[in-house]
Amino acid sequence: MTSKAIVNNKIKRREILRRGMAGLGIAGIGASMLKPSAFTSVAEAAALAEANGKILVILELSGGNDGLNTVVPYGDDAYYRHRPEIGLPKSQLRILDDHFGLNPGMSGFEELFKDGKMAIIHGCGYENPSYSHFTSMSYWHTAAPNSGEEYGWVGRLADNLDSTGSSNFLVNVAARQSLAVRSQQHVPVVFDEPSRFTREAFSQEKEALSHIADVGDIDNPSRRFLLDIARSANDASELVREAWSNYSSPVDYGVNSLDLPKVVSLIESGMPTKLYYVSYRNNAFDTHVFQNNVHRRLLTYTSDAVSAFVRDLERIGRADDVALMIFSEFGRRVPENVTLGTDHGAANVMFVVGNGVKGGHYGEVPSLTKLAEGDNLAYTTDFRRVYQTLISGWLEHGESQDILRGEFKTFDMFS
Amino acid sequence: MELKNLANTNLVMLSMLLLISKVGAQNSNFGTWEGDLTPITEIDWNYERAAHLLERAGFGGTPEQITSLASRTPEEAVKSLVYFDRSAQELNAFEHSGIHEPGLDPFPPSRPATTELAKANGEALGVKVKPTGNRRLQPVVNKFFYWLRASVLETNRVSYWWANRMVASQNPLQEKMALFWHGHYAINESKVRDYRKLLQELELFHEMGTGNFRDLMVAVAQDPAMLSFLDAGVNIKGAPNENFAREIMELFTMGVGNYSEKDIREAARAFTGWNYDGLEFVINQADHDTDQKEFLGQTGNFDGVDVIDIIMDQPITAEYMGGKLYKFFVRDNIDPKLKKELGVIFRGMNYEVAPFLETIFLSKDFYSQASVGTHIKSPVELAVSTYVKLGLTDAPGVPDFNRATSSLGQTLFRPPTVAGWAGGRSWITPGLLLERGNFVRDILFPDINFIPPDRMNGSREIQSVAKRIRDGLDITAATQPSNIGAGQVMAESNMLADRDEDFNTRYGSFRGWQMAIQRVKPISRHTAQINLSSMILSQNITNTSEAIDYFIHRFMTVTPGADSRAMLIEFLTDDLGTQNILEAQSYMEDSLRMTLHLLLSQPEYQLS
Repeated sequence: MTSKAIVNNKIKRREILRRGMAGLGIAGIGASMLKPSAFTSVAEAAALAEANGKILVILELSGGNDGLNTVVPYGDDAYYRHRPEIGLPKSQLRILDDHFGLNPGMSGFEELFKDGKMAIIHGCGYENPSYSHFTSMSYWHTAAPNSGEEYGWVGRLADNLDSTGSSNFLVNVAARQSLAVRSQQHVPVVFDEPSRFTREAFSQEKEALSHIADVGDIDNPSRRFLLDIARSANDASELVREAWSNYSSPVDYGVNSLDLPKVVSLIESGMPTKLYYVSYRNNAFDTHVFQNNVHRRLLTYTSDAVSAFVRDLERIGRADDVALMIFSEFGRRVPENVTLGTDHGAANVMFVVGNGVKGGHYGEVPSLTKLAEGDNLAYTTDFRRVYQTLISGWLEHGESQDILRGEFKTFDMFS
Repeated sequence: MELKNLANTNLVMLSMLLLISKVGAQNSNFGTWEGDLTPITEIDWNYERAAHLLERAGFGGTPEQITSLASRTPEEAVKSLVYFDRSAQELNAFEHSGIHEPGLDPFPPSRPATTELAKANGEALGVKVKPTGNRRLQPVVNKFFYWLRASVLETNRVSYWWANRMVASQNPLQEKMALFWHGHYAINESKVRDYRKLLQELELFHEMGTGNFRDLMVAVAQDPAMLSFLDAGVNIKGAPNENFAREIMELFTMGVGNYSEKDIREAARAFTGWNYDGLEFVINQADHDTDQKEFLGQTGNFDGVDVIDIIMDQPITAEYMGGKLYKFFVRDNIDPKLKKELGVIFRGMNYEVAPFLETIFLSKDFYSQASVGTHIKSPVELAVSTYVKLGLTDAPGVPDFNRATSSLGQTLFRPPTVAGWAGGRSWITPGLLLERGNFVRDILFPDINFIPPDRMNGSREIQSVAKRIRDGLDITAATQPSNIGAGQVMAESNMLADRDEDFNTRYGSFRGWQMAIQRVKPISRHTAQINLSSMILSQNITNTSEAIDYFIHRFMTVTPGADSRAMLIEFLTDDLGTQNILEAQSYMEDSLRMTLHLLLSQPEYQLS
């Protein structure tokens, strides 16, 4: 089979699962060059995806989203006392109930919440919070605050779900791999532009290009690493590009789609991926100065993209199989600063979105009058409770102590 | 080791000598060199080590350049790179397009802030509001977008100017150090929005990069680009903004965990009133907090410079910076003991960068197995060193340097976060590894459909507005979002564009681009002038295996495995239809280019 034939042929989900890596023989890899285990693990991953078709998608809002101006506690006068200039008046909000309203820019979130598809989890944080973007983000990535954990929690989850490290189990759409997906057994599929996820070459070069040297007795660790990555690239690139070129959606994702259409394209194509990781990149939510206009814009883009994602999943008939978790490395300080912005803070809201979600509020709402050190919200919910809820409540995976290095009480969040 | 006149050596001899030198190196004390900062001696000096030095202290070299370095003593070689002569070369100064106008300073933080300013004052950005009529603020909005676009395009020209220096400079360490400092003091065009400030900071790195770290830290803390990037201007007495003080300690000097939150708040007070006016540093005395501060255990009426001096007194600062320099120039993994030792040395040298680098570049550890060939090149290092090794004297215009390095994960003047680029393994993902091979192909086989990104706007939205304006549609009709499916909900962000009657954002975005490309000078779009056939023929090479060995010798720090070498020889032989180079010399260019593309697509090529 030639690559041309594949491109012209819309591959059905079953077929791609069945063929697994064999479909990649097209790139000129003789079947004998593949390790037998590769077939087994792809088959296993496919079986796993079939057995429990549930998929978890993580969306990171980098930079420290101001949760208080996202889900606004307009019913609490203290909010307006802390934020006389940048506090959002009730009249502008998208009212959710008698206490909370969403930022005016978030029509998509309002609809998801009112349709009962969005959980808002309050007061998420951890003991001894760090106010450094990088440190706090690494705590959220590793689910191990104040430790030097080497692997990401999504990576450990992948290891735990599938210890064989099968191909294409874990996808991270990004310019750089996130620490969250760093795994012991899996080489995450990390790409940015699907259409560029390919080796451009003359046809006579193809066979030589797909040649990957055996890691064998190489003792240079950087070289071993590169050879592993090269193998993963060979395994995934054709499938990803194929999925993207077949994807066509009428859904309007707005100005910044946050890579969510790429996720839909892979789900639609039947990739055996259980875990996806995307982000609103480049520290975008770091709103120290004149924040209201820019913050509203960021939230509109996020809300547009997330609600479009759910509609797009409906379109392909997979909305029941996907849960999306949204988080940021910290919230902002409760009082506004003198430049109409907010500084790095602590506890924050998280969101879980999906058809399977029992919508509503979760977790204790932090007090705006009894603040923690440095005028911050005191956390009421260990963020790992939400991770735990997704692992055992959504993915229905039992043995999770290894993943989060402890037991965390779950929320009854999924129907 | 007789490896000094390689250029003229017969290739068979060459491969044998290389083999011997490798075996020899392994038989010497190579293994125990790791962690040893004592200098190597003249008997340890050879072509391979000179090549390694040039890779790390610069961007690699041609065999001729390496041979010349190898012919000196190691001390001379290192000194020639570290204590370079600034007057020895004439590099062209940056040629400004002339896009800036007085009314643009200070530039408001956002479009809404600009239109609010215009509504309040009747003008903004040097443009008056129309007295009556439709879209009275449109010219102001156009001007706002003009400067956004023009500054981006001009910044891309600054990047190109810098890339050309990296390729051509006789003082490669000057450029490499500037690249280090640019990643260390990571400022982003998208926030600073003024190419002039970015250029000014780059000039600071060129000037002071190998000088004294304390002096550089003070200069950067007083640099308008950094002051603007970290919102220092809004840090005033009574309402300190901690961003600036926090990043100085966390990222620029000490590293997280070596100070308290209180230290940050106190330091922020010391920096109050520090601001800039255009391209000048100013201290607004009225905004400066003159009360006592308690910082890192000391009390006094400190200002920003005092705070930096107290930071420099901390042993952890020398350790943090010594370790960071080591990671950039030598390798990612260093044990705590070595890091401590580096700190002691750097502090003992009173933070003078040049002698510190001299010590590193002469050390046994630098040439140990743990260091050589284990560094993953950054995209900028990859691009520049590829051009250098091809023997080019500047960065070609096709492929576009900025586009190419961006798609590999690094854009000059656009580091992803305040912490700069993470480096090391984070440079490589499956997607990015393939892109690296594609980049090499774009040099060897330039895209004939190349469209200069400094002329054509890649946004479909802007293209479609441009077309509809040209077709005579009015602004409202021309700026309707164009790509939403029938019966679908329109995203809120797409409904916002034409909501305000006083101006239309989409039109401004289009018109701003049009105004920018009328004024920003074009980037030269020449392709790489390469002749691999004559490169091979000049080496007296006669068969395909010698050709492959020469390519490996010229381009690779880490030699690919025997199976990869065999694969390349087979490919070239097949494509030429013969093993005989002389027989194929009239038609071998394309085959050599494909072969080089294959070689430089190997995982090993990413290593330096």
